[in-house]
Formats: sequence, C-alpha cells, structure tokens
Amino acid sequence: MSKILIPTALRQFTAQLDQVPVSGATVGEALGDLTTQFPDLKKNLFTDQGRLRSFVNVYVNDEDIRYLDKEATKLEGSETLSIVPSIAGGSTTVAAGPLALSNDEIARYSRHLILPEVGMEGQLKLKAAKVALIGAGGLGAPVGLYLAAAGIGRIGLVDFDVVDASNLQRQVIHGTRDIGRKKLDSAADRMLDINPHLQVDKFDSGLTRENALGILGDYDLVIDGTDNFPTRYLVNDACVLLGKPNVYGSIFRFEGQATVFAYEDGPCYRCLYPEPPPPGLVPSCAEGGVLGILPGLIGVVQATEAVKIVLGAGETLKGRLLLYDALHMRFRELKLRRDPNCPVCGDRPTIRELIDYQEFCGLRPPVQATAAASPAITPREVKAKLDRGDRFMLIDVREPHEFQICRIPGGQLIPLGELPKRLAELDPNSEFVAYCKMGGRSQKAVDLLIQNGFRKVRNMTGGILAWSDQVDSSVPKY
Amino acid sequence: MLEILDEPFQAMVSHAESTYPRECCGVMLGYQRDGRKVVTAAVPLNNSFAGEQNARYEINPADLLAADTEARERKLDLIGIFHSHPDCGAYFSSTDLENSCPWYSFVVLSIQGGRFHHANSFLPDLDQTRADQEELLLPENIGSRLAT
Repeated sequence: MSKILIPTALRQFTAQLDQVPVSGATVGEALGDLTTQFPDLKKNLFTDQGRLRSFVNVYVNDEDIRYLDKEATKLEGSETLSIVPSIAGGSTTVAAGPLALSNDEIARYSRHLILPEVGMEGQLKLKAAKVALIGAGGLGAPVGLYLAAAGIGRIGLVDFDVVDASNLQRQVIHGTRDIGRKKLDSAADRMLDINPHLQVDKFDSGLTRENALGILGDYDLVIDGTDNFPTRYLVNDACVLLGKPNVYGSIFRFEGQATVFAYEDGPCYRCLYPEPPPPGLVPSCAEGGVLGILPGLIGVVQATEAVKIVLGAGETLKGRLLLYDALHMRFRELKLRRDPNCPVCGDRPTIRELIDYQEFCGLRPPVQATAAASPAITPREVKAKLDRGDRFMLIDVREPHEFQICRIPGGQLIPLGELPKRLAELDPNSEFVAYCKMGGRSQKAVDLLIQNGFRKVRNMTGGILAWSDQVDSSVPKY
Repeated sequence: MLEILDEPFQAMVSHAESTYPRECCGVMLGYQRDGRKVVTAAVPLNNSFAGEQNARYEINPADLLAADTEARERKLDLIGIFHSHPDCGAYFSSTDLENSCPWYSFVVLSIQGGRFHHANSFLPDLDQTRADQEELLLPENIGSRLAT
C-alpha cells in the first residue's frame, strides 16, 4: 500500500488522519481511493468535471507528477504521496474580491486615483466605508449625491417622509416626478443612478431610542441631516455611546453651521448645547423658511468631512464650529472644546443609555394641560361655522408675507408678535378662532388669549395647510 | 478569526521589512480550536518568482511541502500563508486570488516605505473567484512597539 500525506488544512475531511493508506496502480487510482474513503475531500481536490483543481500539486516521494506521467504515473505500492497547493500572488494587478476596484470603477474614480491624498488605497477605503445618513431632506440630498458619486461603498439611509412639492426648492436629490414617493426610494434611485457600485441600505422609519443603536452600530460614521432637536440629541448620544463620529450640520433661513462631533478627543453636541431650547423658540425651516441653496453648501461641507474622516486625510472640523451666513457671504469659526462635565461624553457621564428625547426637548407635556390650554377646532368645523354665518373672529397670526401667499377668506391678520400689543382691539367676550401655517403659532396665540381672560378661543388644528387638504384645495401649500 | 501571536508577527514583519521593496512570503503555523485559528510560529520562505519581485511572489511547492513536514514534526497545523505588498495596500489582488488556495488563511502585509503599515487576512473560495476578508487579531500596540 502507498500512503498519502494529508496537509493540515484537509485533515478536517479525513477524521484528523495525517496520512491515509491507499491502493491503486496509478496516482489517479490512489487519489480515487482516497476520495472514496473520504468523500468530503473530493470537492477540495477535484473540479465538478473531475479534474484536479489548478492549485493542487501531487508529489510522488519528492517528484511532482507534472514532470512524470501526471495522474497516470505508475505506483509500485510503497510510495509516499503528498498533496501540495501551488501558491503565488502579487500586488501588481487590480485587487479582486470585496476589497477591489473593477476596471469600470478605476475609470469612474480616475480623478481620485491620481490625487496622492486619495489614490488606490484611499479609493479602496471609500469603497470599504459604511456611512449612515440620517434624513434624505435638505442636508441629506447633497450628502447622498456626493457620497454616492465619491464611491462610498455602503450608505445606510434613514427616512420616513414622503416627497412634497415644497421640498424641491432645496432637496435636489428628488425630482418633480417623485412627488408623493417615499424619500427613501426616490433618494436611493438617484444615488444608484449616479453610482451603481453603491449599496444603499434603506431604513423606512424615524430614528428612535429603540432602533438607533442597532441601525447606527453597523456603520463607521454618522451624518446628521435631521431637522429637529429630539433627533439631533438622539443621534449625538447614540454616536457617543457607539464611539462613531457624528458629522453635524444645521440650517435656518440664511445661516448654517457644520462641525464634527464625537470624533477622537473632540466635543459632542451636548458640550455645545447641554439643553435644548424651549419648544417653539427656534422655528423649524417649515415655519421660518430657508434659502434653498443653503443646505447645498452645508451638506457638501458634511460630505467633505465624512470623506476626509474615511480617508484619514487633512484636518477635520473637530473642535471647530463653522458658521456660514449666506446673506452676507461670510464664514466664521468658533472653537469648541469637550466639556469634562458633559453628561454623555464627559469624564463622569450620567447618560449611559438612550433616553426619551421628546420629553427631554419638552415636546411631551402632560396630556391634561394641553387639552385644557388649547381648545381645538378642525378646519371643516371652521368652514361650517363660516357657512352658517356664526359670529366669531378668525385671526390669522402668520407674518404679512405669508398672508400674501394665501389666506382663508374672513381671516384678520394679527401676526403673533403683535398680538400682545393689540389685545385691546379684541373683546374678551367674543368668540375667536386662530390659525397659522401648521397650528403651532396659533396655539401660542390661543394660550396667550386665554391667559388674558379670553373665554371662547380655539385653535384651528393643522393650520392653513390642513385647510387646503380638507376644505379648499385651491389654497396653495407653501 | 485569525489571531497572530507576538513572536510570529514580529518575525513576519521583520521578514517583510528586510525584503522590501521586494515581496516576501512565508507560512504561518499554529493551532485551530473552536473556529479560532492561532498562529504561534511563522516560517519565512524564499520568494521563488522568476522575475521582478517588487510586485510578485511565488512559493516553491517543495518549500511548502517541507514547511508542512516541519509543521507535522512540531505538532502544529499549517494555518496560513503570508506575503507582503510593498508600498501598496493590504488588499487581495486578482493575482493573489488566481494563485490562491482555499485551504489557508492568506495574510497580506502592507509595507510602506520599508515599514510595516497594516495587514489584512483573506479566505479564498474553492474556485478562486472571491476572497472574503477574515477578522484578524494582531498583537496589541504593534504600531508603537515597532516604532521603537
């Protein structure tokens, strides 16, 4: 009997035997006997067509059968056969497998590849990078477009919203034909159209205390494209807890900010803003407006910082808050430091898990108080009152430029800011209904009136946008 | 997961740095337990590629056979193959893939300017069509200790 020495890697298929006695008059028969005894070995040594795999060399004693009669090499029965893989390689050619660029990709990224700061190594880092993008809105649009184009390998997109006509003035990732589609689908289609090599993971939900760590944990860094305080604190805290950089941007009217939080030894969002502003003090973009081009610039700053972090190139905005004023075209910078007393990233953190961010931001006041403080009326009920000719005053508490865009017939303009001075014009015993764009400012107006002794005051829920939806679709939405 | 202990890793790095700017190669010996592979010894081999070796390596099968025999004698398993990429990232190139073998872990050492830069490990498939990256555990603080 001849024997075949089994390489260590194959002993899992031979019941850990390091040599197997075999019978056969030729090498081919001996190998056949071996794979009959241990069928699991077969696919390791032979292709589906029954040929020896290209990397398998067989030695008879110390001679390679390629230089003898190959598998027909005769055996006398006392030989020692060895299975030895042939192994070679080299770095000359383009990388293969998961960490490689195809020829298409090399053509696509050629302007990156010739930059010494990026090069093949940097482009492969971009391809291997996993970036979470929270929000496919104003900031998310340019971030998503440029990260897709730059060759980031995997982007996790989190959004639950639907494309609305009012988004298109700034959310350039969506088009007119996308109105009514999920932003997630619209954005992913556009990104994959720019770069089919990209993998987009779609998360069709808001980021919540429950899902944030699970979603963000899979990514190397997080880009905050959110528009509200609860989510901003949630993203910040999750990034600090997970040790992921948080590339931050925010916009309002003509001004924007950007920085990198929770990166290396730098500060986090809570170091800058330990507490959220009182609810309603800072209007959202929907209430306050925003120059459509502004998120383009801030989002591109965020995308730039994300790419630099992945590449490990240049100097990031860590510890620097970039302030941009589009109206006067000025850039300024504020130095930021990590706060040793920060509740989440400080030396003795008190926040060690995610909290209730709605409550933290004061957006979930006790239920009874709201009900008592803000009696409400729906747009349909207001319409019915108007049609019946009920005696009441309909107050429009928006700004004059909004009043010019659209109005409800019979509405009297008293901007919220002027209301305290003009209370004397109003009779506390009359009936009032207040409305604004979405119902937020008019609720404050109602509260103010009630505090001043007015008895019959109600807030029209959902504002003029809801009026357009429910009562008169000819009223434009803005 | 592939873990390389301190001593073999130093041996691999010094082999790769001393052959720079040419590619080096060698085998890794050790043991496997519960899906965890631990490299306890590294054996440098001669790069037998006939030609410019700055971006190519080849292991003479006779050397590999001898290394496998050595592993048997030392009661160790031949777990993997290592080679270097001078001035180039530690990715698995198409040349690496086409001339690989699914039986081993393939560790690639990136040597930049003559110094160790980073390393990755790959597991090629049977048909040499793809290689998945394998989790690689290197000795701690290698960067700071190598610098001294």
